[in-house]
Amino acid sequence: MQPGRQRLPAPWSGPGGPRPTAPLLALLLLLAPVVAPAGSGGPDDPGQPQDAGVLRRLLQQAARAALHFFNFRAGSPSVLRVLAEVQEGRAWINPKEGCKVDVVFSTERYNPESLLQEGEGRLGKCSARVFFKNQKPRPAINVTCTRLIEKKKRQQEDYLLYKQMKQLKNPLETVSIPDNHGHIDPSLRPIWDLAFLGSSYVMWEITTQVSHYYLAQLTSVRQWKTNDDTIDFDYTVLLHELSTQEIIPCRIHVVWYPGKPLKVKYHCQELQTPEEASRTEEGSAVVPTELSNF
Amino acid sequence: MRWILFIGALIGSSICGREKFFGDQVFRINVRNGDEISKLSQLVNSNNLKVNFWKSPSTFNRPVDVLVPSVSLQAVKSFLRSQGLEYAVTIEDLQIYHEMDNIAADFPDLARRVKIGRSFENRPMYVLKFSTGKGARRPAVWLNAGIHSREWISQATAIWTARKIASDYQRDPAITSILEKMDIFLLPVANPDGYVYTQTQNRLWRKTRSRNPGSSCIGADPNRNWNASFAGKGASDNPCSEVYHGPHANSEVEVKSVVDFIQKHGNFKCFIDLHSYSQLLMYPYGYSVKKAPDAEELDKVARRAAKALASVSGTEYQVGPTCTTVYPASGSSIDWAYDNGIKFAFTFELRDAGTYGFLLPANQIIPTAEETWMGLKTIMEHVRDNLY
Repeated sequence: MQPGRQRLPAPWSGPGGPRPTAPLLALLLLLAPVVAPAGSGGPDDPGQPQDAGVLRRLLQQAARAALHFFNFRAGSPSVLRVLAEVQEGRAWINPKEGCKVDVVFSTERYNPESLLQEGEGRLGKCSARVFFKNQKPRPAINVTCTRLIEKKKRQQEDYLLYKQMKQLKNPLETVSIPDNHGHIDPSLRPIWDLAFLGSSYVMWEITTQVSHYYLAQLTSVRQWKTNDDTIDFDYTVLLHELSTQEIIPCRIHVVWYPGKPLKVKYHCQELQTPEEASRTEEGSAVVPTELSNF
Repeated sequence: MRWILFIGALIGSSICGREKFFGDQVFRINVRNGDEISKLSQLVNSNNLKVNFWKSPSTFNRPVDVLVPSVSLQAVKSFLRSQGLEYAVTIEDLQIYHEMDNIAADFPDLARRVKIGRSFENRPMYVLKFSTGKGARRPAVWLNAGIHSREWISQATAIWTARKIASDYQRDPAITSILEKMDIFLLPVANPDGYVYTQTQNRLWRKTRSRNPGSSCIGADPNRNWNASFAGKGASDNPCSEVYHGPHANSEVEVKSVVDFIQKHGNFKCFIDLHSYSQLLMYPYGYSVKKAPDAEELDKVARRAAKALASVSGTEYQVGPTCTTVYPASGSSIDWAYDNGIKFAFTFELRDAGTYGFLLPANQIIPTAEETWMGLKTIMEHVRDNLY
C-alpha cells in the first residue's frame, strides 16, 4: 500500500500571489475563513514557516478520516477501502473555527495478505471535504467515491461473509487478531473484517485535528446469539494514535445484517483526560438484551 | 550446538525464502513424570508442528526445553494447556544475540560483537562492529535499531542488514568501498528489556522497562531521552505516557550506553535510527521547526536514498525534517547526534503506511530489509564521498 504521493495542481494564485517554489505556502496562508462573519479570522502568522510537509500530512489525515467515514457508511465488511495515494488538495486554516480540507485521493481495496503486487488492488477515486472543528472530534465529512465493485458482487460477498459468521462455533474470547506476527488465520478473516468496519466508525468519531488513529489489533471477540438474523459481536480493539503514540483500548459492539446500516456502540479508554468517549450511533434503536457486560 | 545450527539454517534459508523469520520461541516445560514426557514426545513427533527438543528429556523433574516455530505457537500452547503441562517462555533475545555471534564467527576478519553496556534489567547491549581495520578511530557509521521495542521490523531489518554487510563485503563494490574508508557499528536491539517484554507480555510495548519512583507506570521513551532540547515539545513529563522523556537526559541506561560509546569514540560521521511505521525518511530537527544548517544537503541525500529504496519494490517514502514530516519530538536520537557533530543523521520509519502498522507480517521482512538496504547504502556512499 502506498502512502500519499501527491501531485499538486499548478501554483495557485492566492492573495499573496503565486510563489513558484512554494505554492503550498500560499494555500496555507489562504485568508478565506470557513464559516465566519466578515472581518473575523485571519491568516496564519506568516512568521511561522509551514511547509509542504505539513500540508501533505494534513491531506493524508483528511483522506484517512474521510475513508473511516466512507467505510462505515457503506456498511460492507467485505469491501473496505484503504488509502492508496493523495492526488491533490488544499486546506484552509481558521484559528478560531478549525481546519477545512478538500482532498482528492485514490483508494485500494483492503485485502491484507493479498497476493497482488502493490497497486494491483482495484483502484477507486474519492473526493472529500473534511472539516476538523477546533478541539472537537468527529470531523464533518462529505465524501464521494467511484465504485470499486459492482453492487451485486458486493452483496454476494457480504452475504458470504455473513454466512461464515453465522456458522462460527464458539469464537475464542481472548485472541490476538492479527497475531503478533501480523498473521490473520483465514477462518478468522470475517471476524476481523467486521471489527475493521466497526472500528472505522469509532475512529471517525474520535478523530480530531491533532489525533489520528490506526487499528492495531483485536484482543477479544465475543459473539452473541440474536433473536433475529443479525450478526452480533463484542470486540476489544487496540487503536494506535500517531502523535501521542498511545494505544487506546476500545470496547465495540456491532450489530450487522448485509445491506443494512451498521449499528455500533463503543467505549474507549481515555488516558490523559478523565472523560470517557462513549456514544451510540444515531438511529440505533435495537439493543440486544444480552448486552450486560458494558 | 543443535540450536546454533538450527538458527543458522533459519537465517540462511530465510534469505532463500523461508517465510517465518522471527518469533520462534523456546518453551521451558515442567515435566513431572513419565506420562508427561510421553505427552511431550507426542508433540515433538507430530510432524506438522515442527517442534524440536532443544534438550532431550531424559529424566523427569527437570524442565525440558523445546523450540517452537512461530507458526506453531498457538497450537503448541493449546496442546500444552489441554494436557495440563506447565510451561514458561524463555528469554527471547537469545535469537538475535546468537545470530550476531554467528556473524562474528563466520566473518572473523570483518565483524566483532562488542558489548557496550547493560539494560535496566541487566541484559547485555551488543553491537556488531564491522571494520576492515586499517587505522585507529576510523570515521564511523552508527546504525541504531529497536529503540522502540514494538517496532519489530526494525530489529529484524537490522539483523538481516548485519549479515548482508558481512556477506557482501568484497562482493559488492559499494559496501566494499564504504568499509575500506569507514567502520560500521550496528546495534540491532537498542532496547532489549522492551523487546523481551513485547515477546512475552505485551506486543505493543514501546518504552524501556525502568521503574519510575512514585508512579506505578513503567518505562521512559528512549527516543525522548537524549540530550537535545530534552523535555521540550513533543515529549511528556507523565511517566504513564508513551512519550515520557524520563527524569533527566540519559536517565535510561540504554541511551547512556550509546551516548558514552559514541562520545568516547569521537569520530562518528553518520547516525541512522530505524523505526516503524509510516514509510518516512527524516532528518533533524524534531525538537523545533528551525531549519538545520545542513538541511539542504540532508534533504538531497534523503531523496536519493528514498528513490533507491523505491526502485526495489515501489515502496514510497516521504522525506523531510522530523518536526513537520511526522510530529514535534524533543530529546530524539538523531537530533542529539546532529547537534553533537554527526552531520549525516537520519531516521527511517519503515513499512508499512498503516494497514498492519507494528504488526507487519513476517513475509514482508525480507522485502523491507532489501529495499531499506538500498537506502542505507545510498546514504553511506554519500558519507564516504563527503567525509569531513
